[in-house]
Amino acid sequence: MDFPTHAPYNPNTRVAVPYIRSPMKILMLGWEYPPHIAGGLGTACQGLTSALSAQGVDIHFVVPQLFGREEARHMVLSDASRRVSPGGQQPHDVGPAPLPIPTTRIPAFLSPYWNPRQFKEAVAAVTHREVASLSPALRNDPVARALIDGEVYGIDIVSALDDTETSSSAESDPQERYSKDLFEEVERFTLQVSSQFAGETFDVIHAHDWMTFPAAVALSERTGKPLIVHVHSLEQDRSGLFAHPPISEIERFGTRHADKVIAVSYFTKRSIERHHGVSPSRVLVVHNGVYPREMVTDYREKKTWPEHVVAFVGRVTFQKGPEYFVEMASKVIPHLPDVLFVIAGTGDMLPSIIGRVKELGLTKNFMFPGFVQGEELEEIFSVADIYVMPSVSEPFGITALEAVSFDTPIIISKQSGVAEVIEHALKVDFWDVDRMADLIINALVHPELRHDLVRMAREEIKQLHWDAAALKTIDIYQDVSPRAAV
Amino acid sequence: MPAVCFYFQVHQPYRLRRYSYFDVEKATTYFDESLNRSIMEGIAARCYLPTNERLLRMLREHQGAFKVAFSISGTAIEQMRQYAPEALESFRALAATGHVEFLGETYYHSLASLYDREEFESQVLLHAECVEREFGQRPRVFRNTELIYNDEIGQRAGELGFRGVLAEGVSDVLGWRSPHFVYRAPGATTKMLLRSFKLSDDIAFRFTHRDDSNSQFLTPDRFASSLHALSGNADVVGLFLDYETFGEHHRRESGILDFLEALPRHTLIQREWKFLTPSEAIRLFSPVSELSFPRTTSWADTERDVSAWGGNMMQRAALSEVYDTQKLYAGCDLRAPDMAVALETWRRLQTSDHFYYMSTKGDGDGVVHRHFSPFESPYDAFVAYMNVLKDINARCRRMVAERERRLTANE
Repeated sequence: MDFPTHAPYNPNTRVAVPYIRSPMKILMLGWEYPPHIAGGLGTACQGLTSALSAQGVDIHFVVPQLFGREEARHMVLSDASRRVSPGGQQPHDVGPAPLPIPTTRIPAFLSPYWNPRQFKEAVAAVTHREVASLSPALRNDPVARALIDGEVYGIDIVSALDDTETSSSAESDPQERYSKDLFEEVERFTLQVSSQFAGETFDVIHAHDWMTFPAAVALSERTGKPLIVHVHSLEQDRSGLFAHPPISEIERFGTRHADKVIAVSYFTKRSIERHHGVSPSRVLVVHNGVYPREMVTDYREKKTWPEHVVAFVGRVTFQKGPEYFVEMASKVIPHLPDVLFVIAGTGDMLPSIIGRVKELGLTKNFMFPGFVQGEELEEIFSVADIYVMPSVSEPFGITALEAVSFDTPIIISKQSGVAEVIEHALKVDFWDVDRMADLIINALVHPELRHDLVRMAREEIKQLHWDAAALKTIDIYQDVSPRAAV
Repeated sequence: MPAVCFYFQVHQPYRLRRYSYFDVEKATTYFDESLNRSIMEGIAARCYLPTNERLLRMLREHQGAFKVAFSISGTAIEQMRQYAPEALESFRALAATGHVEFLGETYYHSLASLYDREEFESQVLLHAECVEREFGQRPRVFRNTELIYNDEIGQRAGELGFRGVLAEGVSDVLGWRSPHFVYRAPGATTKMLLRSFKLSDDIAFRFTHRDDSNSQFLTPDRFASSLHALSGNADVVGLFLDYETFGEHHRRESGILDFLEALPRHTLIQREWKFLTPSEAIRLFSPVSELSFPRTTSWADTERDVSAWGGNMMQRAALSEVYDTQKLYAGCDLRAPDMAVALETWRRLQTSDHFYYMSTKGDGDGVVHRHFSPFESPYDAFVAYMNVLKDINARCRRMVAERERRLTANE
């Protein structure tokens, strides 16, 4: 029998006993964490950190703001000013959570999916209590909503801002405390992180997506610790032709300064290489995973849903291709008039999408539940006959894996990272709405097609667990930091 | 006096194009003509023509001591005639040597043996007539699509006038018995020749394998000595292969044609060994016993059963729809004179390959299924197929409705 040469051999147990070393410590910078998420990033961070911590990695996860309901017992979760999440409270037992440190230390006001214009709008609305003035997209935005509803640590942010008495900060004008510009906010997060965490002991800095890159680079330069940037999406994917050059610039800055770049797919790896000129050998692919689901409530039993449901779950933005979903539906409905098409999500395109549905006269075939999560989301995944992800440019597309975990067959665009890891899905070019409609009609008419798709995809996602992603990530940690051990 | 019996399968389906739901009642071009043409032209150039040329040389050289058999599906003959007439001509040249036997099968390389008895017989007779017309001999030995076989098929082959039938030498059916003897179908006079799967697969799948010293494992002399090792313990060794093994699956550069050419010389070194056609083999050797097949077998996939075509729900749905002609054709009589085109289409849709493309098997078998499929996925194959059936059904229903309308108008 072969034992690793470094492991002492215990003749009584005949089991290799590894050396006990201090665990690898990772300082991770993210920008959202469940349950308050606007996209797949938070879900991915939760999956990856859980699996990493199960492997013995010690993680301190920093986000711009905490909402107080995050459950992250596997690691330290804090905001940029080191306020630690109380964690683990379920919605029903939440009173106003105790506030660990004074309210003056307002965390960065960031949401990953806002562009600079939306940022300004949100700041104005929150500081002036002009919630009604928000555009519908932002009004439904979970982060904006949480800020306005005062869900941040159970405080009413608006009154906190108005009440200068509670402020021990030098700034007296509430507006001053919120940078009016998104990039100033990134800068603030950067300064805060680099001053708060420079003295901390850790082996590797691991930063998720562009808003944390300046902070991560600054901290890396200050501490000399190796930096890994993890690209879940690029501005190019999110906004296409309307990409904001300064955001792309920050992405380039981060990916170029990092020791290694983690891409969520080969699709994204190629984009990083192409758009930011990063050498292929420095970009490594770690596909996202999904946790297998033990038991699903049988929402079908409720009988409140029509016979056929086709679902779109995601931000209603350019990137996700909602308009292709609507055009597809308009081709399906003449043949199958009773199908219900659900668009669950919100975003800047929602008003125009609703407008298009009206224009096509298909209002009765559509349902717009807005941003959904928790049981409501589970119900949509469960009752859907087919889940559609018509993304124009999708670095990964974690919701597709979630749909499969609810035994729902998926149809995904070929322009997605998830298409690399799932063979048993219907795959189309996002623009090919005829083809999409053809496949969907057949999937609805022939239960055999849905059955075979799910049966095979279910086997596939068993191989896509987060443990595999964690092991690859640990290899990368060890590569950049020889001292790091698990 | 042991013998080697070579049989090569030649088949090409009419592949469907990606027929969309939105083509239903609009387009009637179901088949991908340019794809079918380019595949036939490519296979003819890489396999049929060069291998036939080699065989012709061998048959002449050995003057009757070397023989082979072919089974060529009707759909392959038609497409050769259309897209590669010189290939069909080269098969006729082989037939003219008198040392080549042509076997019977279903014209459309279909699964009718399992689903529609009457249709099965029609297709077998159609094929027999075609072979007689093209190659001047009436098939006397039957091989069903992909060697699909069970006791009933053996019996029906006998009823249709065949003296012998070919089947896979499946281990669990044979048990302790050897595939290298002639058997008899239970309760019938039909004799049975079995595929020696180990030796056949050595050529089909392991030809390019390398041994420890990285030299070709399978050489003509090594293969001949494994045949010779069977002396005294074998009557007939059935080497049943897809003809595309030569030049297509193993490219010409692999040396497969040289292997084939050298094999008879190395085999015939031992004077007791012979090459026989299937008809000669069943005439020469008496059956050693009856052999009953408790299950339906085939030469496909690891399971050697019919799961390659009916293993998942899509395949079973497609099969049950295409063979439910009453429903599919809305009560129209497919054998009526004005339905000739519809009948021809229906038969092309029965070709086993369509169902093979819908297989969702993984691992090694899945790789083979995907290799042959013109579709991106089994789901695309299913969707195109079902859309075509939808079009057929819609057209027939409209035809019936119009007919009824005319009838009532006349009254």
